[in-house]
Order: sequence, then structure tokens, then C-alpha cells
Amino acid sequence: MSEAQATSEAERPRRDGVIRRVINAIGLDNVSLIFALAILIVVIVSRQPLFLTWQNLMNSLAQSIVIVGLMAIGQTIVIVGGGLDISVGSTASVASVTSAIAVVFGVAGILPPGIMQLGLLVGILTGMTLGLINGLVVTVLRVNPIIATLGTLAAYAGLAFLIAPDGRPVGVITQPDFTWLGTGRILADLPVPRLGGPWTGIPVLFVILVIVAILAHILMRYTDFGRSVYAIGGNATAARLGGINLRRSRLVMYSISGMCAGLAGVLLTARTTSGNPINGVGFELQAITAVFLGGAATTGGKGTIIATVLAFILVGTLNNGMNLIGIGTFYQRVALGLLLIGAVAITQWRQQRAERARTRLASAG
Amino acid sequence: MTTTRDPEVPAPPLAESPAPSGILEIRGIGKAFPNVQALQDVSLDVRPGEILALMGENGAGKSTLLKILNGDYQPDEGTLTLDGERVSFAGPREARNYGVRVIQQEPEIIPGVDVTENIYAGELPRRGLFVDRNRLNELVRSDLRKYGFETVLPVGLMGDELSSAQRQLVEIMRALKSNIRILALDEPTSSLTDDEVDRLFDLVRRLRDDGVAIMYVSHRIKEILRLADRVAVLRDGRLVDVRPSEELTEGEIVRLMVGRELRDVFKRRESTSEDVVLRVEGIRSNWHRGVSFEVRAGEVVGFAGLIGAGRTELAKVVFGELPRDSGRIFVGGREVDIRQPWDAIRAGIGFAPEDRKREGLVLIRSVLENASLAILRRLSRFHFVQQRLEREVVAGFVDRLRVRTPSLEQEVGKLSGGNQQKVVLARWLAARPKLLILDEPTRGIDVGAKAEIYRLVDELANEGLGIMFISSELPEILGLADRIYVMQSGRITGELPGPGTTEEQVLALAMAEHLTVAEAAGEPADPATVEEHAE
Repeated sequence: MSEAQATSEAERPRRDGVIRRVINAIGLDNVSLIFALAILIVVIVSRQPLFLTWQNLMNSLAQSIVIVGLMAIGQTIVIVGGGLDISVGSTASVASVTSAIAVVFGVAGILPPGIMQLGLLVGILTGMTLGLINGLVVTVLRVNPIIATLGTLAAYAGLAFLIAPDGRPVGVITQPDFTWLGTGRILADLPVPRLGGPWTGIPVLFVILVIVAILAHILMRYTDFGRSVYAIGGNATAARLGGINLRRSRLVMYSISGMCAGLAGVLLTARTTSGNPINGVGFELQAITAVFLGGAATTGGKGTIIATVLAFILVGTLNNGMNLIGIGTFYQRVALGLLLIGAVAITQWRQQRAERARTRLASAG
Repeated sequence: MTTTRDPEVPAPPLAESPAPSGILEIRGIGKAFPNVQALQDVSLDVRPGEILALMGENGAGKSTLLKILNGDYQPDEGTLTLDGERVSFAGPREARNYGVRVIQQEPEIIPGVDVTENIYAGELPRRGLFVDRNRLNELVRSDLRKYGFETVLPVGLMGDELSSAQRQLVEIMRALKSNIRILALDEPTSSLTDDEVDRLFDLVRRLRDDGVAIMYVSHRIKEILRLADRVAVLRDGRLVDVRPSEELTEGEIVRLMVGRELRDVFKRRESTSEDVVLRVEGIRSNWHRGVSFEVRAGEVVGFAGLIGAGRTELAKVVFGELPRDSGRIFVGGREVDIRQPWDAIRAGIGFAPEDRKREGLVLIRSVLENASLAILRRLSRFHFVQQRLEREVVAGFVDRLRVRTPSLEQEVGKLSGGNQQKVVLARWLAARPKLLILDEPTRGIDVGAKAEIYRLVDELANEGLGIMFISSELPEILGLADRIYVMQSGRITGELPGPGTTEEQVLALAMAEHLTVAEAAGEPADPATVEEHAE
């Protein structure tokens, strides 16, 4: 170990308590999310004890956050990289239709119908392709990401209808293997104590979300790709002059977002038992809200998968709680919109405070 | 964090009795921030009708002192006395009420309105309900004419189009409309031309003659010696000395600022090898008309020239950041096809750009991530960054370059300019290049850090690295370079040896105007010109 490291370790205050170390491990920004989540749960439980039942937690809550969660995870990567992907909702719709077609009709007469894995693969590849197109529009045509993906949001929405036979939804009710993705449970035999009812296992949907979240976290935290995404979002010019291939990284970034949306589309089909061209409509707003609520910088370069996960759990809990308490859908939409604005306002305020601390430091030393 | 003193509490008895001549007496001022004592026991008189220069390296405490005068900070200890009356400024507004005005380096400006409205913000002349535009323009124009700034500060410019120097002028014009007794200027000339500097000096002198007390912060020693009546030097938050400027020389001031003489800063290297690490032949681009040169291993090659001569662009063309129409680049004897920066990096070239905040660093990321950026691939196995190896490599260079940072996780944007530059250098050293391009590596950093960078450049050259050293500061080129290329309007107009060359010789080549017809057609300018490639 080198000297510099040794001195930097030594300079750090020794008094760091246990609480401090725990907070550092989670990240200070995430602590406020956890805190908000805790308060929210207390408020909900005090008004509606049914919140804390396996029925509600595993059925309603865990399943409701999956679709938004998958899109938000892909979105995090794009936003950290200084971009934005508004098209995820429509991407999911297209993938929803293509995966249903693949499962019900097979692929090009070569691969037979009825293979669950085939539907999964086709949906994900569909998403990846659409994401790659987004990336190409942004990098090759140099269209601003907001405009580019707003355009493809509209275009992919139309495409979903064009691909669906006669523009109609494709039913997958006859494919139990495939619908298992959306309705199945695992670990139902675990000896878990009752909570307002018996333990019925963990939804497959939720397991998929957890796996994707872990993979994305590893990707962003431990790989050279993740590092370049942070660098590009933080300062694209500096990243390029530091040897990062901007175009390639951006293409990968949008493709991953597309893959996540594609997977979300597959799961939408499995859960609703129908490859419906309107399946993904409206999810983009919730996904983007979650990312910014997690504290990602609107200009890129900051944000983590963990924070996004906490944020969409928070959004999901809020929606779930409002449902349980009996607050209407219209109010929920208003709340979601306000949450988006509030989240970004808080981030800006934090940045400003950090900025002030920085100038103070600069003038001092 | 800060202890605001109650003004009612009686002051500790002062050693010196209040001098009647000083309108502002600063006594025993101290100010601490977490981990740093920014000011310690600073006592100073600011007298009417006098220009007092405040000098010191970055971090010496100059800005902190000005911020205390402006009411941005409250001192932890010490007193301010204005005309024998104890004062404390809770904020800029209060300071202004006392006639104390501090012009910041980057004054606040209203972006969406033009110069006239910025100057007269809050007191626009009106006709009925509407702003009297004609009268406003007339007022501002006559003010500007009076001080000779009408060309420097075109009234039609919008707030967000103004350079920092222009913003400062706006702020000065604003200040002049009120009754000022003490005017403090923080690095007002950093981006002005010589001509504009002269006008600013005229204005400052005129204000002094009107009885205003002037405090003037600057890094430029020559400038200070021309302008100031007295010079106060701060080092590490303490006042080192205050002396009349005629008693001081340039070397003396540097010695006071850093504690050693300027000539010790440059050391001469032993020798250079014959291996050519970079050979460039006949580069033509939007900015260049046939540029050829070479850099040998262990050689520091200076690139001198005026702004706009194409030096920065040459660096960027070689590095693949800017496109070239024709020309060949050889690294280590092999021709390389450089189209993008990563091609150049792979070939063994490193580049520390001129504007390190915008082009060099990802300010919101850590020292670690910035320093390992160029070697991510090499540090990764199956695309996984080997974090322990990364820390070891980066810590090694951070250590060698003496980057002062609390930890490798520190955001680079929070470091001082000199330390930021060292992080950029650490990145390139980690990449083990054959050739390092340094574009204005000492711009905006303090004297101490400059000296460290010079020493490092020397060391690296001794280790066999070829260095392209672009600088607008002739003394550092003359002091460091083994050879100097002088550029003008996209061509190399001459090659000079480093040792023994004078500033005049370089400037003559840099400003040799009016090319002959043959030169314009791409022929070599004269026999002295280096291997220029006529195509």
C-alpha cells in the first residue's frame, strides 16, 4: 500500500462512530430516502393496518413496482450518462406484442410456439433494438436526447399497433409457462410466519426485478463501462479527451435501457395475459420520476442504482398506501407529478448547498 | 461554525493606538474553516488616497480577507475599525452602506438584460411607466466614455455574453455611482488585454487621487509594481510583510510569497536522446498551413506564439480531437492513424488541455475516477475494474505529484487549481505515454504549484518522456524548453534553442507579420524555418 493512501487514511477523523460508518456505506443521500420511506410506512399503517399483510406486500406492492422498477433501472444508466429515454413506455408496448407473437405463433416457422424462453428473448431483443435506434438517433444524427426519445415514444407507440395482427392484442392465456412469469410464485414452502394471512411465496416478477437490479448495480459500480457512463455524464468533453469512446458507450447505454423496457414489456404480457399495444403507455413518467427522486443529477454524472431502487419502492408504497386508504387515482396522478418536481427541487437545493460549500472551501484553501 | 461576535462586547485592548491616517484598520483578524486556518492575526491599514496591493499564492487568504470586508464572512477574531468606529458587516449591503465595495472575480450579473440595464439595475431612469431607454443609453455611454471603456464594454451586450473582465467592469461602474470610500478589486485584469489593463489602471489611479482607498488583489507581479503604492503579502493566512512598492522587486515579492527566489524554480536538464518520439509532417487543417516538427525522447519542446497562432489547435489535431485535412503523424518511428483521442492514447500520447475544468476533468467525480480514466481498460479484467490495483496505481501518482486531497474519493471540483492540474497529470503519467502534451499547464495556478509543475516536467523529461510544452508565458518556455518552436497564423515561423534565447527573439518570430507570396503558397518562410513541408 502506498504512502498517499496511508496518509489519507490517517487524516480521516478517527472518531467516526458506528452510525456514521453505516450512513457512509448506504450513502448520505439514500438515508433521507429510507427515512422518507419509514415515515410513509408509519403513516400508512396508522391509517390502514392491512398494509402490513403478506397479501398486500407480496401481491399488490411487490408486483406493482416491478414494471416501473425495471424501466427506472435502465433509465438510471441513461440519465447518469447525461441522456434521457422517454421512449421506454412505447418500447415496452412493442416488446409486449412481439413476445406474445413469438410465444403464440413461434418465430418465422422455424422455432415452434409455446416456448417461454423464446418469448422472453424476443421481447428483450426487441427492446435492445429499439434502444439501439434511440442511441443512433442521439449519437449519429446528434438529436437532443429529449427530442429524440420523445419522437421515438410516438413512433414506437404506432409501431406496436402495426406489429400486432390487425392492431389487436395477442392473447397468451393458452401459454401457462409464459404467464407463470407474471403470476407464478417461488419459495412458497418456506416456513415464514403469518402476517395478516399465510405466506404464499415470492412473486417471480419480483425475483426478476431483484436480479436485474443487482446486475445493473454491478455494471455501474464495478465495470469500466459504468465508469465511462459516469464520466460521460459528468463531462463529455473531458471523457472523450480521457480516451472514452463516447459513441459506443452511449449506444450501449440506450440499448440497455431498451433491454430493460423490453423485459418490462414481456412481463406486462405475462401478467395481463395479453400482448397489448397499449401495455406500456404512461410508464415512462413514473420511471423518470423514480430516477430523479433517487437524487440523480439532471445534467448527468450522479446517481446510483441503489438510490433508484429505494425511490421506486417509495413511489410504489405511496401509490399502494393511497389505494389502501382510498385516495382516488386522479389524486394519485397529481401526487406523482408533484413528487417529480419536488424530487428535482430537493436535488437542486442540495447541489446549491454543495456548491456554496465548495466556493467557501476554494476561497479558504 | 462561525462565531459572530457581538459588536457590543468591548474589544480587547489593542497594542497599537488607532492611527488617524488609516480610514480602515484591520486588527488581528482570524478566520478558520473546517481543516484550514484561512487567516491568522492579520493586521493592516487601508488608507485613503492609496493603492494597496494584496498578494499571495492561491489559498494564502486574500479572497477570505476580501470576503470579510464584503460581509460575506464574519471573522472569528479581530476587529475592523472605520474612521475610529468599530464596524462589523453582516452582509454586502451593510458593507456598501459604509462605502466599502468589493468587486468579486465573478460578479453577479443579470443574464437576460444588456449592459446599460445591468449598470443601472434598480435605479433605471423612467419616463412615466416605462424605462427611458434613450436617457439610459446616454447615461451609460457618457460614463463609459469618461473612463475610456466604451470599446471594452459594448453597451448592447447581454449579461450572459459578458466575459468575467467585462462583468467586473459592470460591477465597477455600478460601484462608481454610489459614494465609495474603499474599493477592493479581486484579480480584475486576468483576462484583459494590455490596452484595457492600462485603462483600468488609469481609472484606479483617478479614484485614488479622489481619495478612495483601493485594495487590489492580483497574481501579476509586474502589474502590481506599476500600480500599487504599498504591497501586502500574505502566506498561509498570515501577513508576511507590508512595504512601499518602490522598495520591492519582482524577485523579492516572489520570495515573500513562496519563501524562495524565482531563479531556483528552473533547473536545467542534462541531455536529451536522439530517439524521435513524435514526428509530425505537413499538417494542414482549418487552423494550420503545413506544420512539421519533431519531439525527441527526454526533450521539452516549447511552443510559443500569440493567442490564435494555432498552438492549442495543433495539440488537438495531434491528439485526434480536431480533424486534419492532410499530414502524417509518427509516434516512436511508426506512422499512426489518429482519428479520435483514444487512437492517440493507444499510440502513447497524453494531453493535458488548456481549460482543465471544461476539458480536462469530470469535476463532479472523484480524484480516483479522474486519475484512472485513461487506463480503465488496462485496469480491467473482463471489463471489471480491479479496484485494489486502481487505488494502488492512482495513490502512487497522487503521492508522487503531491496532490493535496483529503482522500482519493474527494470530488475533483473541490480541489484548488494547482491540485486539479496535478490530477490531470497523474492521469497521464498513469497511462505511461511516450509523449505528453501540456497546454498552458500553469495557467491560473499559484506560484508554489507552478514551481512543482516545472520540477515535474524536468523530472519526466529526464526519465525519457518527450514533452510538448505550450505556454503563453515566455519566461517559463525559456526556462524549461530545450528547443522552441514559434508559431504564427497556423505555421511554424521559427525554431530556436531553449538555452540562451531571449524573449525578444521569440516575440520577433511570433509577430513577424506579412507573409510573402511564396510563404502563403506553402513554401518554407526562410532557410531558418524548420523542415516545413511544402506540398
